Amino acid sequence: MQEPLNAGAPQAAPLKTADEKALMREEMRIAKKYMNGFPFFMAFWGIFNLLCWLALWPLVISGIMPLWAGFIIATLNVTLCYLPSHEAQHSNYAPPGHPLRWLNELIGYVSTIPLVLPFKTARITHMDHHSFTNDPERDPDYGVKAKNAFAAIMQGLFRRQPGNADAYGLLLQKKAESGNKLAERAIVEALVQTTSFYLILAALAWSGYALEAALLWWLPRHLGMTYISLFLSWFPHHPMTEQGRYRNTRSFHHWYGNIVALGMEHHIVHHLHPGIPLNRNAAAFREMRPLLVERGCRLED
Amino acid sequence: MTLIKILFAWGPILFGLGFLAPLTVQAMEAAALTPPFGLTPLHIGLALGLTWGLIAKFTGRWI
Repeated sequence: MQEPLNAGAPQAAPLKTADEKALMREEMRIAKKYMNGFPFFMAFWGIFNLLCWLALWPLVISGIMPLWAGFIIATLNVTLCYLPSHEAQHSNYAPPGHPLRWLNELIGYVSTIPLVLPFKTARITHMDHHSFTNDPERDPDYGVKAKNAFAAIMQGLFRRQPGNADAYGLLLQKKAESGNKLAERAIVEALVQTTSFYLILAALAWSGYALEAALLWWLPRHLGMTYISLFLSWFPHHPMTEQGRYRNTRSFHHWYGNIVALGMEHHIVHHLHPGIPLNRNAAAFREMRPLLVERGCRLED
Repeated sequence: MTLIKILFAWGPILFGLGFLAPLTVQAMEAAALTPPFGLTPLHIGLALGLTWGLIAKFTGRWI
């Protein structure tokens, strides 16, 4: 049995506002408190992480940094590059029409270059994940469903084999065929970005930098995808059997802590209020906890 | 777009020749491995890349 996150803290007063509207009002009041202000931390994370990964190339190729050290740092960079883009997918840096909208889109596009995850693909499929969480037919992340963490890792490897249909690609194709122009554009961008990735890998390899390309990009990308899939998709939604606003995801806690879990221990707050930046989810969760108990949420921390 | 679709269809073979082959060559050189029967690391790299790519293309699996 895991110790609750708020062990030792003063217990929140029991809720007296049991009716639906009052609960929702209180939930929104707390959520709005944590949505305010530009998410500087996430923006800095996205830009610094990308610059760090880019810096590895000249450092390793010029011999200043050993390749093994570059490999470790690159694997961290690839693993960490998704979440700043995830904020951009939800327009958390700046909504459409805001003067800083360009920055939102810039972070979204560039932060996932190490992961080779096209931004429009990520945004479109992620919105469907939120709309249809745990729906076997409509949740594009449903493929991560597995009985345990090891099975989830193996399934991730299996899904990336060339003979398997790509759930994101299929979803985009379906939307494009129904006349969705954004999906059409996303497919083109995805093809260009993925093709560019493989052309750059081949160019580096045939120029004498195959080991560098393999250990600074290709292998870190596979390791990063495995880690991200496990901690961002499998852990927070497991066992993926329930749907509905308050039951489709959960809070959880393991001995390795929330940083290793990439902040996903409070993923339930993200599904309820995607506008709250990742680094404020824990505080929002603690304040919202009595309401989540009242709602019958899956609090498994 | 059509060209890209063709490229993706033959992706595993292209990846085998375009990336795995030179990677094998440079890994062998870094490990100071000498191929047998008078072969060069490039022969080994191309043979491995093409074979593995063909297997992946026609079985749908790298591993």
